[in-house]
Parts: sequence; C-alpha cells; structure tokens
Amino acid sequence: MSQSTRGQRRPIPSSAFAALLYGIMFAIYLLYSPSAITLAGITDLLNNTIVLAIAAAGLTLVILTAELDLSSVGVIAVTNVIVATVSTKVPGGAFITLILVCLIGLLVGLINGWLVAFLGLQSLAATLGTMIACQGVALLILEAPGGEVAAFIMNRLTDTVFGFMPVAGLILLLAVAGWLLFRRTRLGIAIYAVGTDALAARLSGLNVKATKWLAFGLAGMAYGLAGYMLGAQTGTGDPRISNSFLLYVFAAVAIGGTPLGGGRGGVIGSVVGAGILTVMQKLLFAVGVAEFYTNIFNGVIMIVAILFGNLSAILSLRQKAIMSQHRDGQLVPN
Amino acid sequence: MDSSAPILQATNLHKRYGATTALDEVSFSLYPGEVCGLLGENGAGKSTLVKVLSGIVIPDAGEIILDRLPYHPRNILDAKAAGLSTAFQELSLIPTLSVAVNLFLPKPKVNALRLVSMRSLEEEASAILNQYGITGVSPSALIGDLPLAARQRIEIVRAMLQNPRVLLLDEPTAALSEREWLFGLVDGLIARGTSILYVTHRLDEVRRLCKRCIMLRNGKKVLEASTAGMTDDDVFSKMAGRSVVESYPVRESSINDSAPPVLEVRHISAARVNEISFAVRRGEVLGVVALEGQGQSALFKALVGLTPLKQGHLVVDGKRVVIRSPRAARVAGLVLVPEERKSEGIFNDLSTAANISIPIINQAASFDFIRGKRERRLVERGAALVDLHSRYLPPNIDALSGGNQQKAILARSLLTEPKCLLLFDPTRGVDVGTKYNIYRVIRTFVREGGAALFYSTELDELVHLCDRCIVIYRGTVVAEVSEKELSPHVLLSLAAGHASEATQSMITANSRNGTSR
Amino acid sequence: MNDILTRSLVSSRTFKPETLTALLVLLGAVLMMLAMKVLNPGFGSVQQIAAILTTSIFLVVAAYGQGLVILLGGIDLSIGVVMSIAGMMIAGLTNGSNEALTWALPVTLISCTAIGLLNGLGVAFLKIPPFIMTLANGTAFFGVALGITAGSSQRTVAPALQVLMSAQIGGIPVPIVLIGWFLVAGSVLQSRTTEGRKIYAIGSSLAAARVAGLPIEALTIAAYGVSGLCAAIAGLLLAGYSSSATLDMGDPFLMPTIAAVVIGGACVTGGRGLYFGTFAGAIFLSALSTIITVLSLSQGWRNIIQGGIIIIALILQTKQWYLLSIVNRQLPGKQSLDGVLPQNSEV
Repeated sequence: MSQSTRGQRRPIPSSAFAALLYGIMFAIYLLYSPSAITLAGITDLLNNTIVLAIAAAGLTLVILTAELDLSSVGVIAVTNVIVATVSTKVPGGAFITLILVCLIGLLVGLINGWLVAFLGLQSLAATLGTMIACQGVALLILEAPGGEVAAFIMNRLTDTVFGFMPVAGLILLLAVAGWLLFRRTRLGIAIYAVGTDALAARLSGLNVKATKWLAFGLAGMAYGLAGYMLGAQTGTGDPRISNSFLLYVFAAVAIGGTPLGGGRGGVIGSVVGAGILTVMQKLLFAVGVAEFYTNIFNGVIMIVAILFGNLSAILSLRQKAIMSQHRDGQLVPN
Repeated sequence: MDSSAPILQATNLHKRYGATTALDEVSFSLYPGEVCGLLGENGAGKSTLVKVLSGIVIPDAGEIILDRLPYHPRNILDAKAAGLSTAFQELSLIPTLSVAVNLFLPKPKVNALRLVSMRSLEEEASAILNQYGITGVSPSALIGDLPLAARQRIEIVRAMLQNPRVLLLDEPTAALSEREWLFGLVDGLIARGTSILYVTHRLDEVRRLCKRCIMLRNGKKVLEASTAGMTDDDVFSKMAGRSVVESYPVRESSINDSAPPVLEVRHISAARVNEISFAVRRGEVLGVVALEGQGQSALFKALVGLTPLKQGHLVVDGKRVVIRSPRAARVAGLVLVPEERKSEGIFNDLSTAANISIPIINQAASFDFIRGKRERRLVERGAALVDLHSRYLPPNIDALSGGNQQKAILARSLLTEPKCLLLFDPTRGVDVGTKYNIYRVIRTFVREGGAALFYSTELDELVHLCDRCIVIYRGTVVAEVSEKELSPHVLLSLAAGHASEATQSMITANSRNGTSR
Repeated sequence: MNDILTRSLVSSRTFKPETLTALLVLLGAVLMMLAMKVLNPGFGSVQQIAAILTTSIFLVVAAYGQGLVILLGGIDLSIGVVMSIAGMMIAGLTNGSNEALTWALPVTLISCTAIGLLNGLGVAFLKIPPFIMTLANGTAFFGVALGITAGSSQRTVAPALQVLMSAQIGGIPVPIVLIGWFLVAGSVLQSRTTEGRKIYAIGSSLAAARVAGLPIEALTIAAYGVSGLCAAIAGLLLAGYSSSATLDMGDPFLMPTIAAVVIGGACVTGGRGLYFGTFAGAIFLSALSTIITVLSLSQGWRNIIQGGIIIIALILQTKQWYLLSIVNRQLPGKQSLDGVLPQNSEV
C-alpha cells in the first residue's frame, strides 16, 4: 500500500480486493456451516488461521525487500518441536519457550539475512539450504511426531479472553497494529524503498544490506512465533515440513496483494490472504470434499492465488493511472 | 576563513576495475564559492569520480581533503556529514514513496516513539518546495507519478537541503529541459559560499556557470583551465584527440525514391503513442528528435512489437505487415538496436562472438548442431561490417568497452539482413572514435539500399547524420524538418512544442556558441 | 567489476572456468572418499565405488533437467514427484512382466513429460514464478497419483528394467556405461545445439532475448518438458534398481538435484554453467550419501549436511571466478588480455 496520499483520492489498495474476497468466501462458508458466526465458530476459525497468518506476515517483510524466503516451514518445524519438548519440562515453560522460539527464529532469520545481504547469495537457493538444514535440526530434536505441549499454551491460547475476544484474534489485532506502526518507522520505510529500487535507496543514503538483514531477521522471528502457535493448536510437535504449507504461505502473501517483485503491498493483505485460504479449506471440508483431493486443491489454489494477486495488482495500478493528473511520455518506473 | 585555500582537494585519486583504469592519478582542487565544471566523454571517468567523492566507491589510492579535514567517506551519510552532497544523474528517488518522504531520506524526522509523522513531514516539505521555487508539486504525490523534469528538480533540491559546503551536480539538466531555475539556484548558492562541481557535457552550460573547468579523458585529467578563453574546438580536440569538424562522415544522399518506402507507419497508436505516421525511404536516415519522455521510446518499442498497437498498421516494402513480437519484426525486416545496452542489448554471460551470432545461429548449424567453423565465419563477417577487431570476439562481452559492445550489437543486427534499422540513441555511452565508426556503418548501410530510423539526444548527430528529421512531442509527430532546414536550434525549438521563455534563452545561448552539445 | 574482468581473462583460449570447477568437484569427491578410507579401512572397495557410481545415475539424469531449467533462470521443484509417478506408473502398468513394457514405457515417459510441459506453460504464459508453479503442479499431481493408487505402494517392476540396472558389459555395470554416454550426450545437447545456445542467452538476459527475437516461450516450455522427461527416466531406473515403486521414492532426490547443479558451478540466476559441472556434483553427492549411510548418520544429520552443502557451494561460487583466475594464471599457454582492451577502438 502506498504511503498516504493526502489531498488526492487514494486508489483502492490491492489488499481491499482480498478483503472483499474474504467476505464472499466467509458468506459462502456460513451457508454450509451456520455455526461459524458464533463465538466458538469464530474462535475456531481464527485458531485455524493464526499459524498461517503469522508466517505470511513474516514472509511479507522479506518479499517487500524483493527477496524470497523458503525457510518459514523449516523454522516452524524447529520451533514447534522445541515447544513440544521444552515447554513441559521447564517451570514457567510457556513464557520461556516463547522467548526461546522468538530468539531461535530471529537467529535463523539473521543468518538468512547475512547470507543474502552480506554474502550476496541468491535468496531462493540460500533459504532453501537453511530450510533443509532446519528440518535436519528439527529431526535431531524429535525424530517423529510426538512430544507434548504445555497445557497452558494449548488451552489458554486457543481460548478467549475478556469473555468475547478469541486470543488468536487478539494476537492478530496486535500484529496488525504493530504493522501499522512499523510502516512508519525508518526501517519500515527503508524496507519499501529497498524493495522498489535498491540502487536509488543506496544513493539516497539508506543501508540496503542492513535493511534486508533485519527484514529477514524479523521474518524469522515471526516464523518462530508461528511454530509456537502451531504447538498451541496441535498440542504436539512435528519435525516434518509440509510442502503444502510452504505453498500456502506464499499464496497468502500473493492473494493479499504483495507482488513477489517487492516494493508494494503489506502485512494486512497477507493476513487477510491467510484468512481466505483457511476459510476455503474449511469450506471444502464442510462441503465434503474427499481428503485426498486436498493435494490437488493445494496445488491449484496456489496458482490461482498468484493469478489473482497479479490481477488485483493490475487493477490497482490501472486505478492509479486513471486518477493520475500528470502524464508525460515517460514510462512510469514501478 | 581563508578564501584562497581550496575547500576540496583531491590528490592522485586512483581506481581500477580489473584491467580498466577508471581514474588515473586524478588531482584537482575546488575553491570556496566557485562553480567548477567537470567535462569529459562518456567513459572518461566522470561518474567514477562522482561516486568516489560521494562515498559510493572507495578509491584504490589517493587522498581527499574536505574543509581542511581528511575525507574518507564509506557511504552517502559519511559524505553528507562531512558537508558534501550529490544530486545524481541516475535519480536517487524512490518512485513508490512520496515527495516528502524522499526529501528527507534516509533519516526522516521521528517523534518520541521513533515514528515518522507524515503530516509534519509534508508540511516541512511544502515549505521547502516553496522556498526553492518548485510549484505544482504536492508533497504527498508519489515520485513515480511526477514528470521527469519535476523529479530532477527534487533530486537537486534534496542535495541542497543540508547546506553542503560542496555540492556535486551530475548532469543536472537532463536532455534539453528547462534550465533557468537551476542557474538561479546555483547563483544563490555561490553567493553563500557553497562550492559546486558541475558535471556536464554541455559547453554552453559550462560557459554560463563555470569560471573554471576540469576535463577527464580515459581516466586522466587532461585539462584544468578557466573557461574564458576556451573555444569549442579547443575543448573537443582535448576531449577526443580529434577536431570536431572531422567527426562526421560526409553525407551524400542515397535516397531512392523510385522504390516504395522501406517502412511506412500509418496512424499507429500505442501506449504513449498518439496517431503517428511517417515513412522511411530506401537509402534514407530519418532522424527522430524529442525531449525526454515524449513517447519516442514507446514508439520504437511499438514498431518492433514489444508493445501492442492499439490502432494503425505498418507497411514494409509496400506490403502490410502485422508485428506482434520482435521475432516477427525481424522476419519483416525491422531490427531494433535498443536503448539500454546493458540490460536489453548484450547477453553478458556469453562471449562477444556468441552475442553476435545469436539471432541467426541456426544458419551456422546443421540439424541443430552448431558448426564451429561456420559460426566463426559468420561472426567474422559481422565484425568486419562494424570494424570490430577479431581479438574482441572470444572474450566475454562484458569485458569490452561500451563502444565495442555497441559495435557487437550493431554487427548482430546487420547480420540479420534487416530492411530497416531502428536505432535508439546508439551512441550513448560510447567513445568518440567508436561514434564515428557507427556513423559510417549507418551511412554505408543505407547507401547499400537499407533504411534507418535514428533517435538521438545529441542535436549535432541528428543534424549531420540524418537526411530528414521528424519531431515528436507528446506522443505525436509535430513537425518534419527537411535537409535544408536542419539545424540544432530549429530542432530544439520544435521539440519544445512551443517556444517558452526558457527555450528562447537556451536558443540564444546556443546560437552564441554555434553548436549545442 | 573485478570479477567481470577476471572472468574475461580466463574465458578465452584456456579451460573455461566451469570445467575447472567440475574437475575440482570430482577431486573433492575423491578426496572425501580417501578421507573416509582412512577413517574406515573397510571402505572403498571396488564394489563400493562401483555402487556409488551406479547409484549416481538417478541424480545424473534427473539433475540434467534441473540444470537446464536453472540455466533458464528457473527452478523445478516437481522432480521428486515426477520420479515417483514414473516409477509407480511403470510398475503398475507392467506389473512384474515384460509384456507391457513396449507400450508402458512410452506412455510413462510421455505422461511425465506432459507434467513438465505443464510447468513450462504456467511459467511461460501465465508468468507464474517457477518455484511456485513447479511446486504447485507437483503437489497437485501427487494428489492425482495418490487418488489413483489409493495410497497403496509396492508394485513390482518389469524384470527388464531390473536386469538393466544390474547387468554388466565387459565387467562394468551397465549404469556406469550409461552415465558416461549421458554425460557426452547431455553436454552436447546443452552446449552445442542452437537450442542450448539460446537457452544460455535467455538465462543471461531475458530482456535482451526478447529484443533479439529469441523463442522464449517455446524454449521455456521445452526446458521444463525435458526436465519432466529426465525425471521420468530417473524414476524408471530407480524402480528398476529397487525392483519396486512407492509414491515417495522420488522425494529424497529433489534437493540433491538442486545441490548438484549448484555445486557444479552453475549460476542459480541462469546463463552460466556446464553439464559437466552438474555431473560432477551428482557424483560428489552420491559419494557423500554413501558415506553418510556408512557412518550411520540419522536423517536429521543428512538434512543438515545437505542444507549446509548447498550454502557452502553457493558461497564458494561467489568466490569462484576469483579463485579460478588465480589458478588459471598459473597455467601455461594462456594469453593475457591486459592492455588488449583499450577504451577507444581507433585502429
């Protein structure tokens, strides 16, 4: 989403299309599952969404800098098994584990960032390497799905607070609020600048390498948090990575209107995108689609997501073109 | 403060990139309150010097003293802190961010929460825009939505914001745009004691602004003198080692009117192209003149099918053709020599020979297997056409100078046996000797029955190389200039659409000098 | 810029730097095995070496397709799935006898090539990023296969394939002869055909390829198709070697194909790299895999090592030109281009 354009009519951000789509999907889902509108139903839906949403939020930061990050599923695997092995063994386990997974996620992210920004490695290949290595670490910690997540985490985090607010919803709101603030920090602005035009950013005095490094670091921390929430949702640890989930994380970002080329979009869109994908899954389940079709569904939806993301980006740009006042012969850089 | 001591003193700056020496023991001084011009051909080392002074590039050797202190910037911030600011030729503005944000990058003001307040940023920006006489630009507008001229102004203003002791202006007046505003600012800065290093290749600007100028050639400083006594010829011969009069091949008309025009463009419209029609005759070089961003780039792209035509059609050699891609264009006989050599022209992982042979590599193959000898013969034939020595053929093309790379691209284009060459600023970033070569190649090509559409930002080239010129403004052809009428100031005034005050003064400045460069 | 110039210095006349990289990788494989032999004297018998080379064939073949796609600037994450599908198909169609082989073989190969072509279509026309397209496509077809086979595995494969993998010619196992042929054929196809040359160009600069009028879409689709075909062949051979097929038998090979290409010195952004390098990378990884098995390392360690190797290979690659220019300067007969590249071409 572009910076505020006070004094000019703002073009519709592409995340608005995502929100619209979410509304439609939710309405359809409601038809099949009327209980979805109850507090329990909403809590359940948010619980199903939160892991994907947080992971997608993290990935958004990296993609905004025009880099890729495949390591999300790797970090989630590691932190998930840690939650399942450590949280019950340490007093105050829930809290300590939370700190631990955030630190681990941050560490992996900073390593990714170092490889890409400072050593200059291509991000796809480098994060592929860290993803595999992370999975190895996860397997070393826990050879097979198992372990046990502390009851506190499992119960409280999937529940509601104040009687009406699902904890998952609260976390998402905090994430969104955090993002709105972050967008206005120097780092937030730098991330957009670097993703749009790294050379111009450098000539403007921005530290491109440090910006990317921090973006990867923050993303890693988000993945760590996602793994923690996964533990809360499932109650166990699973060291295996899921290709499908990796697809979903990217699909969420794409649907939300953040193009893979960087420089545009935002976390809010990705969170909505995660919501869309979750509702869609639940819809399929409610309709009674056989489970082994899910793979096909996952594959197809990813492609559709990218196409949708492209489409909404084009629509959004065209809006701007219509509204724009100055037009010279020059191709607008983008 | 002793005003006779230099504010900036560079001693023996040296920078090598592999086998190329970009800066060769360059030393110069800059005094307080003066504007010093920095001249030189593309590739002479100007941009490297600017990068070294700005902190983007670290020199291999040499010392710089700024304001009596040693100066070793490692980035833009260091430079700014020491009092040196740069307005870059490749604009350093971020298109998706607003004017206000860009003005205060990299460290916009933050409140107690480390957050940037857009509103206060925009208010400050508004004041600054007013102060510097930039009207019609809203601080909340996105840079990418502004015309190039406005962006250039903002780039310049940003560099002036922190009242630098030394200001570097790198080609601040993009091809043929309005200049009085800048000259006024420069005068004001000098009065306040700021020193300016003014990088340009336009002598009239140097004469207007600079008392002194320095010239680089092949990385070395070849001239440091006051501008008062310099003639154009002095300067050109120092820049190139060749006097300006000889720099163009004699033009004899080889236009063949008995055959149908090689290329007829009939009422075509495309993105940023509004109903353009013209024809290029056999044996003719048709020039295209335009200010920056008037649709000329879009026109060339549309002609080879890189962008779709919304209406109109093309006729090649009397036959109507539909061109949907550069491939189809090549089959029809139209080949584009593109604007951006580095990103759209060369394949920088391949050898020069492979670069030349690639579009017609099938001719050197039997059953899809490439025959080494046949390819070699093909490539050598192409290289001979452009006077490219065969020792440049085996190495990777990115080891070659810009001029040689351009020759290779021309060789490639010629080997496809086109009917009409579409050349977009082919001599940009090319050394003078190669320019002459390229002119010769073009004229030879049209003399032997081809045709050429030639866009350039150098009025001299257009005047001396072309048989006729069309002028493009806002995406349409506004004028056609025949051979007799061709002169730089005629082209310039037509290109500007209508004579404005600024253009008038530029015309007078040009006619004072005789040429414009 | 430093490496660009040094690259030019070494690119003509003498060895291409990529050839040197490939040789170094092979040397690395040998050294690794020697080190293993020191630790474990029982290691390194002729049979073991033969086994390493034999089992390298899957990677040698599958990584060729991956290499071609990476050369274009893309990536193929569906190779593992396609290998499994090919194996399951041939096993299911032949069901332990040779009769159906004559038609089962082409059907399998064509189907898997079709999956690859579908990848190519998505990348070329829908402009979907390759890693997403291939991952999504692979996942979807995995689902299809899952549905058709209803999850059951363990089919028996035509004996002919099994014989192929275990037979010998003049004392040398057939697969080893095959990889030799494949190296030659693959190198020629990639580096000496017009299509191969154009693929290098497209990978080097997509924009320039467009302006030059190269058949970008056609070659993209073809490259992914070839990748599917190679994965299919690898899957067939794997089924023959294992005498059975399961739906996840191709999975352990996906990451190694990428690793082999990267180790072999190819640039992940495309435009550079020889098949010889990928081949060397495949041999190296095959040796490494055997060593890991001999050392009885767990799957977790295997993954860590694999991930680590990819990263190390990537890092070494950035230093590649610099290192090799030093090595190359020591070689005799090299013509220096110093002073031969003036800025002005006035002759």
